[in-house]
Amino acid sequence: MFRFLVRRMLGAGAILLIISAITFCLFYAVPADPARSFCGKICSPTDLETVRTNLGMNEALPLQYWHWFVALFVGRTYPAWGDCAAPCLGYSFTNHEPVLATILDRFPTTISLTLGAAVVFLVLGVGAGMLAAHKQGSLLDKSASAISLTFSSMQIYFIGTLAMYFLVRQTGLLPEPHDGSITQDPAAWFSGLLLPWIVLALIFTANYTRMTRSSMIEQLSEDHVRTARAKGMPGRTVFLRYAWRGSLGQIITILGIDLGSLLGGAIITETTFNLHGIGRLSIDAVVDNDLPMLMAVVVVAAGLIVLFNIIVDAAYALIDPRIRLA
Amino acid sequence: MISRKTLRAAAAVLTVGTLTLTACSSGGGGGSKSSDAKGGKLSDQAQVSVGTAADSQGPAKAVEGAKAGGTVKDIERDDFEHLDPAQVYTNTGSNFSQLITRGLTGYKQEGSKVTLVGDLATDAGKPSDGGKTWTFTLKDGVKWENGEAITSADVKHSIERTFAPFITQGASYVQQWLTDQDYRKAYEGPYGGKHLDNVIAQDPKTIVFKFDKPHADFNYAMAMTTYAVVSEKGDTKEEYDKKPLSSGPYKIVDRVTDKTLTLERNTNWDAKTDPIRNAYPDKWNFEFGFQAIPATDKLIAADKGEDQTTMSFYASTAGDRLQKVLGDASLKDRLVKGNSPYADYYWINNKRITNQKVREALIQAWPLQQIRQTEGGPDTGDYSRSLLNPTVAGFQETDVWGKIAKPEGDPDKAKALLKEAGAENQKIVYAYNNTPKQQQISVVIESALKKAGFDVVIKPIDTKTWYDEISKVDKEIDVFWGGWGADWPTGATVLPVLFDGRTIADGSQNYSNFNDPEINAEIDRIMALSDSAEQNKAWGALDKKILEKAPAIPGITNKFYILHGSKIGGAEYDPLGQIISPNKVFLKP
Repeated sequence: MFRFLVRRMLGAGAILLIISAITFCLFYAVPADPARSFCGKICSPTDLETVRTNLGMNEALPLQYWHWFVALFVGRTYPAWGDCAAPCLGYSFTNHEPVLATILDRFPTTISLTLGAAVVFLVLGVGAGMLAAHKQGSLLDKSASAISLTFSSMQIYFIGTLAMYFLVRQTGLLPEPHDGSITQDPAAWFSGLLLPWIVLALIFTANYTRMTRSSMIEQLSEDHVRTARAKGMPGRTVFLRYAWRGSLGQIITILGIDLGSLLGGAIITETTFNLHGIGRLSIDAVVDNDLPMLMAVVVVAAGLIVLFNIIVDAAYALIDPRIRLA
Repeated sequence: MISRKTLRAAAAVLTVGTLTLTACSSGGGGGSKSSDAKGGKLSDQAQVSVGTAADSQGPAKAVEGAKAGGTVKDIERDDFEHLDPAQVYTNTGSNFSQLITRGLTGYKQEGSKVTLVGDLATDAGKPSDGGKTWTFTLKDGVKWENGEAITSADVKHSIERTFAPFITQGASYVQQWLTDQDYRKAYEGPYGGKHLDNVIAQDPKTIVFKFDKPHADFNYAMAMTTYAVVSEKGDTKEEYDKKPLSSGPYKIVDRVTDKTLTLERNTNWDAKTDPIRNAYPDKWNFEFGFQAIPATDKLIAADKGEDQTTMSFYASTAGDRLQKVLGDASLKDRLVKGNSPYADYYWINNKRITNQKVREALIQAWPLQQIRQTEGGPDTGDYSRSLLNPTVAGFQETDVWGKIAKPEGDPDKAKALLKEAGAENQKIVYAYNNTPKQQQISVVIESALKKAGFDVVIKPIDTKTWYDEISKVDKEIDVFWGGWGADWPTGATVLPVLFDGRTIADGSQNYSNFNDPEINAEIDRIMALSDSAEQNKAWGALDKKILEKAPAIPGITNKFYILHGSKIGGAEYDPLGQIISPNKVFLKP
């Protein structure tokens, strides 16, 4: 396992390096000149040169990338902002603060949003899927399938906007979504994220219901399950020990991908509910041409997806002894 | 006071067809008026004058029914880019700075009457030596938030530090005037121990500026936030942008960049010294991140709970909600409206369209009415009457080419002009900022130009590169949209910037590549005038003279609509900034 993890970590590092280099080239190849946006309304060539120096953009592209990369390990000094300690991801062109500090500031919101929603959609989705599999063909099963099909077809910007309009603006049934800190004010944190959790759960629950149901039905028809039943093992034990455990691998796979994506940036959710997380940050960075921020968000998002892939693979090995890690 | 970013924002707003501004707010109105046959009445507009020493005395005139106290919540899309006044060059940043920053001069607004007055200074400045020397005297009792007196040394330091290399986003007029050369090469700021000889702190209360050339509206320039005071002792250089020392009625007590900002009273601010700010609330809570539609929905619903005390400086009503808002009588008392102080043009590339008759044909063919209809109809704006916006001192309503009388365009006249020019079937490349609304507008323009006998090529340009493209000298486009906002309300920051042929260069704002020796000479003559009234009159006349040479087509002066909570009072539209001023805001019981 240790060798496996080390090998995967090294691979992940290489992937991130390639992603960062490609991202850097792509974003900096855009013909728009961020230095112009920084320069005053009436901008002389000298002003523009000063701005480029301040932003670290007056060098050749490969050299700029090298400085960006080296700053991750040794930090950097910017003429306009001063020292940026390692690991330095640069200074934001927009809010003029260290990119890393901004990302660390936004991450708790995204983590809260993701993990809270995950708890809800896992409990509801997996639970409903198990019930539907257990009562296959019943009204409950058909209802769960219909509901899951309906909600999995919907988008957050649609349900979220409707929910905001009716549940918050019109009726006031739910509090307005907002950022909060679980350590400073747990009640405000909970109330501020309640609606986003519900909306995210509505969509994700449907996927987990369908996936759990189909996977468990498939497991229940396996030979070893039939054998267990034939030997007189109680139905509940068969259901939980064999079918449920057999389905767990698929659930973890999907969950790993979902968590990686959500942590990397629940862009639409955070924009719809005005939450200041990583997803919202990435949109703002695109709109504002904030290249250092965009670079950092892409690398962090990619890193999270790679990380969750490693976690999923490791979890596989723990759950299923048939999987061998070389 | 508008930066490229704000202009881009204005362009975006234009794009969704929402905007505008006027001199009338919930409670305001007045100003100059005129009417036209088809364009509808030109909305009320503010005009600016220079006040006396008496006008400069505090406290600000009380707002009827207003009481001090309470907390106002303000929701915005973006955080304020800078807090160091020297770096502030946007209307949003300047408006916020009113709460924490003061300058030598500022604008006092009473209804639609806007007066340039002394803010920290006892009056709006005393020119001498034919406008080459300006003297300001500081008022008694003006202090920093730490209780120390604001002195002329602070003012001198504030001006000198605008030369520092880390100050790159503010205005640069005064730096240029003080050095009369590339100011970045002339002086590096005060941190190395060098100082400017022509900014003289004569005594703790008197500051004198000496120039080689006359600058009749220097006192207007000093009202820009860029030139507001920064404490010499409290200057933390780059760090000042994060935590400035307040000279205004409030001080920053908490800030999480891009999320929240909290202001509380600066107990060392004395209302008796301030003719501009009433500063009624005890506290301001800002929250950022609200997009146009959610912000509008929140403000539409703002008649219960905390929403009652919520407002926004610049979250104009989203285009998709405009008709709903205008048609809802219950929102009338909570709706502030105004006309844009920004000028709106369709530039003609004079380097490619060299024949004036062809340019005139374009103007005659231009479908202003259809464009306005596409933007959302008459509620979205008035047809522009000239190159200068009506809020600019010296504005004269001209309509040289009869566009107000015939805003739908005159294809027959255009055809005749093309024939006269020997340019029938003239090829025209029309470029637009590639947004959904501008795509629709481009169809309207293409149709009108074809009808008038032009061979039209439509060219979309990516939003991110729009300004880079249109500010190139050798651009392969003939006509394109552009906006411009005066940095202070005289022609000095409009016509020379946009139409002085000697400024043509990549990145210059002479987007139309217009170069006429007669106009260049007239700009020099007007700039040298020492009497501001005479100068303003001359700018108005020059506006007409330039228009007669057909370098551009005046577009639509958009309107601005913004809602606030039901317990917000004194939300007054600032006609110079296209924004809701915080100065008179109070909470209703």
